[in-house]
Amino acid sequence: METFQIDFSLPEVQSVVSDIYSQAITGELVGMSNFAALAGTIDDPHEKMEAVEHADSERKHAEGFMAYARKAGLPVNINMEGAYWKRVRRQFLNYADKNDFIACVIIQEVMLESFAVSMYTDAGKALGGESERLFLAIADEEREHLEHSIDLLKHELSKDPVGFVDKFEEIHFNCMNILSEFSATTDLGGHCGVCHGDCMKESLHHVGLEAATLRGNALKLYASTLDRIGIPGEKSIVWIAKLPA
Amino acid sequence: MDRQTTGLDFAVIGHQDNWANIRSLINIMRTDALEALPVSKIREVYDYIPPRAIFRMHVTSPLGMTRSGLYIETFIAPDKLTADHLRENIQKVRDAVAATYRLGIPMVILGGFTSLLLEGNIDDFREYGMAVTTGNTLTAAYVIKGIEKAVRQEGKRLRDCRVLIIGATGDIGMACTNYLKGKTKGVLLCARNRARLERFGRRIENEGHEVKWSTRIDELSGSADIIISVASSSDIGVSHLKGDVIICDAGYPKNLEEKLKDHPSVKLFHGGMGQLHHGYLFDPDYTTGFYRYPAEHLGHGCIIEVILLALENRLENYTIGKGNISEEKIEEIYALSLKHGITLAPFYNGNGLWPDQ
Repeated sequence: METFQIDFSLPEVQSVVSDIYSQAITGELVGMSNFAALAGTIDDPHEKMEAVEHADSERKHAEGFMAYARKAGLPVNINMEGAYWKRVRRQFLNYADKNDFIACVIIQEVMLESFAVSMYTDAGKALGGESERLFLAIADEEREHLEHSIDLLKHELSKDPVGFVDKFEEIHFNCMNILSEFSATTDLGGHCGVCHGDCMKESLHHVGLEAATLRGNALKLYASTLDRIGIPGEKSIVWIAKLPA
Repeated sequence: MDRQTTGLDFAVIGHQDNWANIRSLINIMRTDALEALPVSKIREVYDYIPPRAIFRMHVTSPLGMTRSGLYIETFIAPDKLTADHLRENIQKVRDAVAATYRLGIPMVILGGFTSLLLEGNIDDFREYGMAVTTGNTLTAAYVIKGIEKAVRQEGKRLRDCRVLIIGATGDIGMACTNYLKGKTKGVLLCARNRARLERFGRRIENEGHEVKWSTRIDELSGSADIIISVASSSDIGVSHLKGDVIICDAGYPKNLEEKLKDHPSVKLFHGGMGQLHHGYLFDPDYTTGFYRYPAEHLGHGCIIEVILLALENRLENYTIGKGNISEEKIEEIYALSLKHGITLAPFYNGNGLWPDQ
């Protein structure tokens, strides 16, 4: 396999690495806030404690990314009000306000974690060194959240297959449309409000990444997760086909 | 591995061989309410999608039985159907078979490229306990019965004809050769792999049949009264043809007629297809923009083979390996086809149905 050598002294490389860290930190803080809100929707004390624990885990991930960025002298821009993150968060809070625990789990632990696990893995492998260890370690922990949700959602599906798939479909279009616009190779919804200058998708090649691969791998993990939950393939392929691109 | 109970009788694992079909399929799924995606956008995501079910098939026999199956798309990109991508494609096929198993389906056909795993003895998926088949026996049967019918229709006799088989060392090519070698004046064998072709040619010769072989089509085509093309190649060129040659194009992609525009008397049809007369329904039905045949309810022989096995409750590995298709099996599966009201497809090619169909 061809090895891509990154020259971290180049300003364009530092810029794209800063943007990658900015997105990761912002995403973790969104996850932290979501889990914290989720804790308020749960009646079961054990689940409540678990949500708080997950929120704390996301906080630690954000701190880990921040610590590395500080050490490496990377300027980061944390903006939970950035265009796409804000919309995702609003979707989550809509369901949290209705005490819809399952919807919250679907958004945070299936949709957002699928993207986080996949993109952290790709980014980590591309960046190498300490960044690789950090991104892959956090991806492993996020994968545990994903696995936890699969067991829970399989059980939910078995209780009411038709109702569950209908509910999942609604959430898919509410939330995955945003993530799909966010990850499209061209910036469909305008500037994200997190990247420092122009959209970093144009600059990913400086670190051996490309937007199409990041998006493709993320959708692959999301689709596999839907399969493992038990969503029929005939349904999920239509959901994926209808996403903005 | 978790296994569901779907009540389905069979599955078809396949792939698309061109981006135009994929564009149609994806945009039908998107419906008119959404902007149609161009191929460039679809390509960005298509082959990342793990194999999954796309639609269900419901088949009715005139004998009163019905069977239901599932089409599982491998999402192998058409331009990756090459040796360079063999390893990843094999993995996709394996993933598709695993998906079939998880759905509790007892029988599966590996169509098109995916049959390579069975033909090449790469995997027989024994661990899943499912019946598997390539469907090649019925495809070969439809090719042969089509040739027999076309020869009769053109007022010729099979035993007076020499038949050229392009792709002779593939599973379907070998089946056609073995079936026709004693019923025709001679067989002309063409394939890309010289050593394999030589071995097969010598074997036919040692059996006492008239046979010639070459890796070059034009060294054989001038002697052919009938041509069967079962090769998977986009660069097949035919020249030096007899004016009234009958051609069955059963290879992929089908592009022989484009190269025969200067031979108006050549009778070319797309072979290996059957027609289901008593019910062949899809759910969801994506055929509106996707079905490109000039007659209703046509299906590939390989798919119909698994349908017949399901109708007959025969959970067996009907066609696996290469070179195992006997004349008896060809006659048996063709008889089952007729029993369940599935006939040879009418003759057609890229210009539509033959005028007399």
